[in-house]
Amino acid sequence: MTIKVSLLLDGQLSFEETRAALDEVAARPELRDRFTVYGLVGDALRGLSVPDDGFSLRILERLRREGARVSPNYDPLAPD
Amino acid sequence: MVHDEPGADAGLVRLAQVGDARAFEALVVKYQRRIARHVARYVRNSGDVEDVVQDTFIRAYRGLASFRGDSTFYSWLYRIATNCALSFLRRQPQDQLLGDDAPDERIRPFEPGVSDGEDPERTLMAGQIADAVQKGLGHLQPELVDALTLFEVEGKSYEEIGRMLGVPIGTVRSRIFRAREALARRLGPVLESQHRRRW
Repeated sequence: MTIKVSLLLDGQLSFEETRAALDEVAARPELRDRFTVYGLVGDALRGLSVPDDGFSLRILERLRREGARVSPNYDPLAPD
Repeated sequence: MVHDEPGADAGLVRLAQVGDARAFEALVVKYQRRIARHVARYVRNSGDVEDVVQDTFIRAYRGLASFRGDSTFYSWLYRIATNCALSFLRRQPQDQLLGDDAPDERIRPFEPGVSDGEDPERTLMAGQIADAVQKGLGHLQPELVDALTLFEVEGKSYEEIGRMLGVPIGTVRSRIFRAREALARRLGPVLESQHRRRW
């Protein structure tokens, strides 16, 4: 399964395979860890070895806290 | 270097667009560091960088329906991050942006893996991670190093790597995975000491 995690990270899976891989990753914390660490390996090779000390989780927590929704008419590139 | 095929994240993006929060979470985990580095070129304080990165992902999430896949998801995110950073700068009082004694520091070069000095522990760990990956590369078979660095550093697609190395795409998949797995194992002890607040 970990090779699927590697392919998921690289966007190499089909739509259905991506959904199935996410199901697995959601159910298995060790696979989520692998996804995170494989990403860190790539970023470290690009000179970005900053550890993720909850940075991603804080983004996700804020998304939930603010109840963010996909809005059909919202343009994120529009000037403020 | 970033992979420039527009469809690179197509599966995750399409799932996120139809409301699969897990898919968007995976995109956050994948791109947060690169977006933070970009934002840190404009924003000085690490707390402000984090706020702007959060704004970027929230805007991106709300605007997912407008992403048509004409560019890569990353380049779309990058443009949103630029707008968020500039918007942040416009909201700051002028004297805070252009301090009397350091007018040239508003936009500073980003030091990879180094924050603005507020967190020495984090800086130390960044160094340990970089060391572990660098040393780990030295223990890998050259064909694994080639596949991984062509993908991650040179931004080549799996197909291009296959053509360059003269191997089928299945071999490219396997080599990239094996290289990552070996480096991940080396990183294990370093990351064990980190507070477990990962995705």
